[in-house]
Amino acid sequence: MNVMPGIATLSVGERKLLQDFVDEHQLFYGPDPAIMRNHKLEPRTAAEDAAMKKHDDPHLLNQVRGRVISALSESFRMVEQMGAAPGAKWGDLVTAIFSASGDLSEISPAGIVTFAGVCQYPIKFVNKYWTHDPTVGVRHGDGFIHNDSRYGGIHNTDQSMMMPVFHEGELVCWVSSTIHEGENGAIEPGGMPAKAESRFDEGLKMSPFRIVEDFQVKRDILTFLQNSVRDPKLQFEDLKVKLHACLRLMDRVRAVIAEFGKDALVAYLRRNLEDTEAEVHRRIAELPDGTVRFNTWIDSTLREPALLKVACAARVKGDRMTMDFRGTSPQLSNRSVNAVMGSTKVCFLTGVLQNIWPDLPHNQGVLAAFDFESDANSLLDANNDAPCAMSLLPMFRTITVATVSFPKFIYGLPDGAKARATVTLAAQYNQPATFVYGGLTQHMEVTGNFCADINGNGQGARENRDGEHGVSPLFGFMCDTGEYELAEEELPMVRLIAQHLATDRVGWGKYRGGLGYEQMVTARGTSMWGFMTGQSGSWFCSAPGLFGGYSCPAYPIAKVKDANVFDWFKEKGNAARFPYDIVELMNERPIESGRYVTADAGMTFEMVQEGEIYMICQGAGGGYGDVLERDPAAVMKDLSEDLISHESARDIYHVVYDRRTLIVDAAGTRAARDAERAARKARGKPYADFVRDWVTEAPAEDLPYFGSWGDTGRIIAGSGKTRQVMDAGAIQPVFMPDPRELRIAALEARVAELEG
Amino acid sequence: MKRVSVDIGGTFTDCFVIWGDRYVQSKALTTKHNLALGFNEALDYACREVGTSREQMLAEVDSVRYATTLGTNALIERRGPRIGLITTAGFKSTVPLARGRGYGEGLSMEEQQDIPNARRPEPIVPIEMIRIVRERIDYKGEVLIELDEDDLRRQIRDLVDAGAEALVVAFTNSVVNPVHELRVQDIFVEDYPEHMLGAVPLLLSHQVAGRKGEYVRSMSTIMDAFLHKVMYFGLSSLERNLRASGYVKPMLVVHNSGGMAQLNSTDALQTVHSGPVSGIAAAEHLAKCAKLGNVVATDMGGTSYDIGLVVDGGVKFYDFQPTIERWLVSVPMVHLATLGSGGGSIAQHNRMYNTVQCGPTSAGSDPGPACYDRGGMKPTVTDADLLLGYLDPANYANGYIKLNPRRARQVIEDQLCDPMDLDLIEAAKLIKRTVDLDMANGVATELRTFGYEPSEFTLLTYGGNGPLHACGIARGLGIGRILAPPFASVFSACGAGNLSQLHIHEMSTFTVLFDSMTKQLFTDFAKFNAMVEELERRGREDLLRQGMPVEKIGYRLELDMRYGNQRVQTTVVTDMTRLETLADVVKLINQFHTSYGDRFGEGSQAAEAGVRINTIRVCSFVELDAVDFSDIHPGQKRVPAPAPVGSRKCHFVDHDGAIETAVYDAAALEHGVVIDGPAVITTSHTTYLVEPGWRFEAAAQGAAWFTRIDA
Repeated sequence: MNVMPGIATLSVGERKLLQDFVDEHQLFYGPDPAIMRNHKLEPRTAAEDAAMKKHDDPHLLNQVRGRVISALSESFRMVEQMGAAPGAKWGDLVTAIFSASGDLSEISPAGIVTFAGVCQYPIKFVNKYWTHDPTVGVRHGDGFIHNDSRYGGIHNTDQSMMMPVFHEGELVCWVSSTIHEGENGAIEPGGMPAKAESRFDEGLKMSPFRIVEDFQVKRDILTFLQNSVRDPKLQFEDLKVKLHACLRLMDRVRAVIAEFGKDALVAYLRRNLEDTEAEVHRRIAELPDGTVRFNTWIDSTLREPALLKVACAARVKGDRMTMDFRGTSPQLSNRSVNAVMGSTKVCFLTGVLQNIWPDLPHNQGVLAAFDFESDANSLLDANNDAPCAMSLLPMFRTITVATVSFPKFIYGLPDGAKARATVTLAAQYNQPATFVYGGLTQHMEVTGNFCADINGNGQGARENRDGEHGVSPLFGFMCDTGEYELAEEELPMVRLIAQHLATDRVGWGKYRGGLGYEQMVTARGTSMWGFMTGQSGSWFCSAPGLFGGYSCPAYPIAKVKDANVFDWFKEKGNAARFPYDIVELMNERPIESGRYVTADAGMTFEMVQEGEIYMICQGAGGGYGDVLERDPAAVMKDLSEDLISHESARDIYHVVYDRRTLIVDAAGTRAARDAERAARKARGKPYADFVRDWVTEAPAEDLPYFGSWGDTGRIIAGSGKTRQVMDAGAIQPVFMPDPRELRIAALEARVAELEG
Repeated sequence: MKRVSVDIGGTFTDCFVIWGDRYVQSKALTTKHNLALGFNEALDYACREVGTSREQMLAEVDSVRYATTLGTNALIERRGPRIGLITTAGFKSTVPLARGRGYGEGLSMEEQQDIPNARRPEPIVPIEMIRIVRERIDYKGEVLIELDEDDLRRQIRDLVDAGAEALVVAFTNSVVNPVHELRVQDIFVEDYPEHMLGAVPLLLSHQVAGRKGEYVRSMSTIMDAFLHKVMYFGLSSLERNLRASGYVKPMLVVHNSGGMAQLNSTDALQTVHSGPVSGIAAAEHLAKCAKLGNVVATDMGGTSYDIGLVVDGGVKFYDFQPTIERWLVSVPMVHLATLGSGGGSIAQHNRMYNTVQCGPTSAGSDPGPACYDRGGMKPTVTDADLLLGYLDPANYANGYIKLNPRRARQVIEDQLCDPMDLDLIEAAKLIKRTVDLDMANGVATELRTFGYEPSEFTLLTYGGNGPLHACGIARGLGIGRILAPPFASVFSACGAGNLSQLHIHEMSTFTVLFDSMTKQLFTDFAKFNAMVEELERRGREDLLRQGMPVEKIGYRLELDMRYGNQRVQTTVVTDMTRLETLADVVKLINQFHTSYGDRFGEGSQAAEAGVRINTIRVCSFVELDAVDFSDIHPGQKRVPAPAPVGSRKCHFVDHDGAIETAVYDAAALEHGVVIDGPAVITTSHTTYLVEPGWRFEAAAQGAAWFTRIDA
């Protein structure tokens, strides 16, 4: 076989010849690294440059901004009201406008930043590949749909509609509408298959393609999509919803052009981005130069326990800030918990906008001001073959990374500094703690989706007060946990505990984190139903404290299987002894026939019989400051609200008080706290001694560990004999053994042992 | 027709009296310690106007009607009883958690976005006053867990011991089966007869709100219980005051649903926001009488800008889950949107975009704008209005407040001119333009979300700052016609004077009109009609109890419908009162199709996913006489304008240099006077600014029209 010489040996002319040939004979338009790895603003186009020269009046552009934001608000409300997916009903949606080049310039004021942030990638893909393709093209009245995260997306459960806006034949901008749809035909119902072992298990994989022509949905393609998912009704309804939101937005954009002229719109879209980026650089410049390191670990692949490192070193120098994720766990090529770098960056953007600089406009200019470093084939920078249906696990950590890293830069800034735009706070609980469900409803409809409980994470404690309990989640504001009566009307689920702030599930500190709430759910009135979860943090506390505050607790899943609680309730006296508390139920075990199970919170889809009970807990936020500085009156208030136990008040906060009246003994408390401070000193040791006693050369042999261990240049993967050590620059994808195979092997070994 | 209508606001008590063919407006300061005093003062003023005594007037009027912000104020000031909440086991934290988003209800978007500073409002029911009871009912009303009566008795005792002054019972799915809530009532009455406990009210959630949604229904009931006492004492003291003055008929209270009822048929929750809603009702009545077509009613005050929507054809816009103060509740309230823009809105330099940003922070009335000279150190919209020449420093707010232009100049120069390199007047104009466009954009969003184009509307403007900014707002909306309505300074009271007696009853339902899976249309007409009949019966009893003749009672059937599993509930007002045939079902579906398409765009309908009714609502009403506003149209006659009372140099957006602008006294402008802008017209309560390119025309009954003439 003749082999072409190495490309380095080709002349310039030959290289061009080769490139032209390849371009003309492209087998497959896969995700384009040139697009997916570039989070910076596209270069100013000649049209943008001319428009900005023509319209340099910031006040006029502000008028344009007002019009566009009004339009985005209108379209957002449309989607929220028309949408059928639970995500649309409870706030997991966005509408947005992009420059002609595809940069995200403005989102609907209440929308999810991440959704719009990742939508730049498929728009740029369409611009690059379909505009000039004679079989596709981009025309007035076209609408493109997309959901594959490898082309830009958080995970494949989110679907976006993107439409170009033309003026006199010229593309002037793009508009989009995105909803977390849920069901997408994956290996498990609900759209976020924890069980996915390859991208082919993730259901619909829509690269950006045209589904709307001349403003009409192409019914043949829609039928294909409906045929590919479990809930064809949802697919039908929400496609229309997204389309009509885009159409409305497009109408408004045209009205803006009619009022101010096309160039004013183009100038505004670009100026918005450049002004924002410049502002972010000014704020970074206010921060002291230096490096803040923050490492955290995900403790589950959702199939087996594992410690997956998410490493971060945040470096500030001048007006530049680099987020260095090198040293992070390698990707797990047959687990669903990977993320692509384009999405990782946008999730970090969410963290900055949610918790650090919420006053900034929600656009790509913020993201463009940061630099990123990562290892290829790592958990945060996975290749295109890795499944990422549950990318929320690593990506939510990047929100935590922002929340935890910035306060250490900001701490010493004066009050008037722009970089101190809001209060500093510890990490919000960062797990998607909700039930994903699927099956046949009481109305005989097949469905699969998730519960709105994802929208109720406990907030981290603030520098000046406690965190809020179960508040709008770490990825968005004003998201809604919904009404359970409405959910139960549509779904065959009964909440035995809907929302209950359980005692001692606290991130302790001078200010405590907000608590999460327990959920206890069962199925009723269905012949086929099941649940899964995507929660980790059962071993390693996922939301850290700040400046001495404690982390949130660890939370498992608990179940009562093989018993129908509704039948049990019918027996006289039983209802009176049912404990509305997970711990009590699991310890007291009042349902005699039940099988009580506690497990890692991450659970792949399993069928549930009527009356079987499943229990999880929304988590707490991290604490802030030293527990010994907590105001004893605040401790008494927590006691009166059953948020903490007397044991915690005594052993953690060291408050002395009368248990009956909750009157604090101030002198006794001072003495108890002084004693504890003295005990701390006695327990303490010099740092060098601590390092000597604590630090090891490598993780314990039997620990399933993934990521760097000290040296970010060396990446460790796995445990025992199969543990690999790789150079960070040459990470090989890691494949995990099938847990069932391992279990079978262990059992067979045991059988062999018993059989002698 | 003789009638007294009153709007008791936080600052003023407004009175509107219909006395045969005379309409009189009067005002007095609200006397919070005893509302009757302010009412009497305002009424006495009106009596002097028509030449009669208070006793005589009250003896002759057909009704006295109240709209009041008492409830709103009580919520803001947290004046109310200590409430205990009894709820279903497993739902203990539903109210404290407020659906995760409760931290931001009632706040500006900027405050909502600043989630690190999130703070839920101080709870009406603190966590330690919440008790759970073992019971459970499922979505269709089946009892899953029987009510544990021993448990219930313990919890009631516990709450009473903890000092509960009112009890709220909110059980899951009680709207589909109230058996457990009703049993609580029985037990409470048995165990705690009034002679033992005194008057501890017990409220059941299903009797306050008829819809599903355990959080919003709980909050509605809690709020009702919280306001009950203050409303009862406040309003019954007014009723006693009326009795003492010889009034023997029932006192009528305006509801936020847009109707009214006697005091003993009114829930406290129904009175919250009844003042602004009365303003919208007045706009609706005006639009209907004068055939104005679509009207957007706007009220610009010192800190906020209220927007209400009135469209031709009687379409109703409700908020089913409105925010009251800082909480979502479940009550069908006339849709009212509020923006954080007003005369007190603070203008600040936006460093990022190098422009000005107005609001949402406001200087309020204390310290107020810098020009109030009361310590305000930040530039506001009113400061800009003053520097642009629109306001008379010596006669602002009828002379109550003297304005200091030097203060306004200083703060604008320091905080805006310097960073933006603008001169003083340019900066002031920029503030005026920005706030006008902010409000225009807010109105546009509201109208367009409901499927309407602003250019098809008349802008109705009232409130202290409304007519000053109306031309700028209308221009930003593409609206060419503005009406400052008759009796604008007491517009809400005027609205109360023209309401019908109305009760709304509604019921959650899961009625599938078209099942897309089985391809079946709804046929259980008897079940549907029985629900409608039950709701009519409740409304009829309300009205009969208040002495309304049965033959005068009318019913309006409204259905909240949706496609598939959507959240949206589009209200379809149908002329049918019963379903009898499949043709009726198809007619309903078609009507829904049209409404939905109008709102969200033709082609957005999705009947293929199924069609459902979520809520059945019956409005039972008796139409009463109302004021005739049919003659307020402009152009019916022309009279020459009087000489101006003076002139000022004013500056206008999009016009260079100062323009010498005539100043008129509105009291001297007869019906038929036409004045082309620019002009400033002063009234005792506000200032009309007729911008260049606009024409002012005085019409009958004190109505004032502004028409764009440069379009």
